[in-house]
Amino acid sequence: MKPIPLNTEQAPPISVPLRFFTAAPLFLLLAALMLVSGADNSFANIHSPELLAATHCITLGFMAMIMMGAMQQILPVVVGSPMPASRLTIWLTYLPLLFGALLMPAGFLLGKPVLLNFAWPVLGLSFITFISASLIGLARAPARNATKTAILLSILALGGAITVGMLLAHGYATGLLLPYNKLATAHISLSLGGWVLLLIIGVSYQVVPMFQLTPNYPKWFARSLAPAIFIVLVLSVLSLLLAPGLHWVAIVAQSLFWCLAGCFAVATLWLQGKRRRRVADATLSFFRLGMMALMCASILSLATVFIPAIDHLAILSATLFLLGFAMSLIHGMLYKIVPFLVWFHLFRGGVKRGVPNMKEIIPETWMWRHLWLHRGTLLAALFAPWWSAAAWLVALGLLLQGMLLGYALLIAIAVYRRTLERI
Amino acid sequence: MRENMAHELDVRGLSPPEPFVHIMRALPALPAGAYLRVHIDREPYPLYEVLRGSGYAWQTTALADGSFSIRIGHSA
Repeated sequence: MKPIPLNTEQAPPISVPLRFFTAAPLFLLLAALMLVSGADNSFANIHSPELLAATHCITLGFMAMIMMGAMQQILPVVVGSPMPASRLTIWLTYLPLLFGALLMPAGFLLGKPVLLNFAWPVLGLSFITFISASLIGLARAPARNATKTAILLSILALGGAITVGMLLAHGYATGLLLPYNKLATAHISLSLGGWVLLLIIGVSYQVVPMFQLTPNYPKWFARSLAPAIFIVLVLSVLSLLLAPGLHWVAIVAQSLFWCLAGCFAVATLWLQGKRRRRVADATLSFFRLGMMALMCASILSLATVFIPAIDHLAILSATLFLLGFAMSLIHGMLYKIVPFLVWFHLFRGGVKRGVPNMKEIIPETWMWRHLWLHRGTLLAALFAPWWSAAAWLVALGLLLQGMLLGYALLIAIAVYRRTLERI
Repeated sequence: MRENMAHELDVRGLSPPEPFVHIMRALPALPAGAYLRVHIDREPYPLYEVLRGSGYAWQTTALADGSFSIRIGHSA
């Protein structure tokens, strides 16, 4: 059976998000290989080419790939407005991101400026297309809610992160004289603290109460959290870049930022504690792990604001935020969203009987295995800067996670195709 | 879920895809001229797309407690 043609002006076909999602696990495999490609422990030096390459493999190839694919579906479902010119937008986002996410880590790893000089314009094209399309979609959206505000602010932060990132990559490649440390801090703050954190906050306002059956986030909290985080983030970045004399402004802004991030983690854990159905659920456990990691990252980062001399605190905090918080949340959301998308596209596509139960689309045993593997990888990563064997375990963990996630996604696609063929 | 003969459907507190399934099951039984009033936690944008394609019209009201009431009937 062929699915009934749908109104693609409203929502993209299932192949769109799945194209992004299935490319992402490959970058976990690449990141694993990059981590063990050097002679020394790549975690021991925060500026090592291997660590820089692997980090960009994860942030661009894995995280941005999934987040940008998910946004194609989130906008129509959550705020009622799709991205404009969907086919063109998708290809101008997907292909350059795929190539750019390969070129940039390769440039860092091999120390080849020419690769970086190819990578940044290609990635720029992908992100500028994505940002423009998202802003148009949001401007047309009928919804007026806290999720829309958080998504809008995350897109604005992404715009800043990409501008600084392109400048940095161009500077590395051409040897420009730039304040690299300050720009790198601004790039990391805007991309992780802005784009990643704000998007997760906005989506959590919907996903946590809807799928985990918790009460809603308190209205005043949901309305004010994302704007407050955005304001202190911008203050922190501007004071760092433009007003070095006002060091105290940066300290106050950073402290407030981590307090607010910690509040989000505490509020989510509190809501999850009040959920109506108290049954074990792997996706919920991914979420809880992510929120606990964000809480720990916030405490450690607050400590680094006041004791910046301790490098190790910053490394631990970055690991907790990236692997512990962002990756856990992305895995948790993916394992909830993909079965839902498969089910929904079969059902609304005209298949009324024989649509598998959502829980049967990706077997939950695979999700639990992945959760334990992810916990192990995170634990190893926390020891990796001081223990070389742990660095190898992190690489092995990422490799196995990439394979497991890829396999789980292929199972979901197979279920979708089999159901269509059977009916 | 609470359902009665007056074509009222309360799908608050159900996790996806249950609200969508209950609404899609209730609609074919809706007599001409009647309407279904759905009480739901979140505004269901994907449902609107399906309703539009299946010949239904709807009107959504946001309620003070943050939930929504949707009145669904056959298109004129």
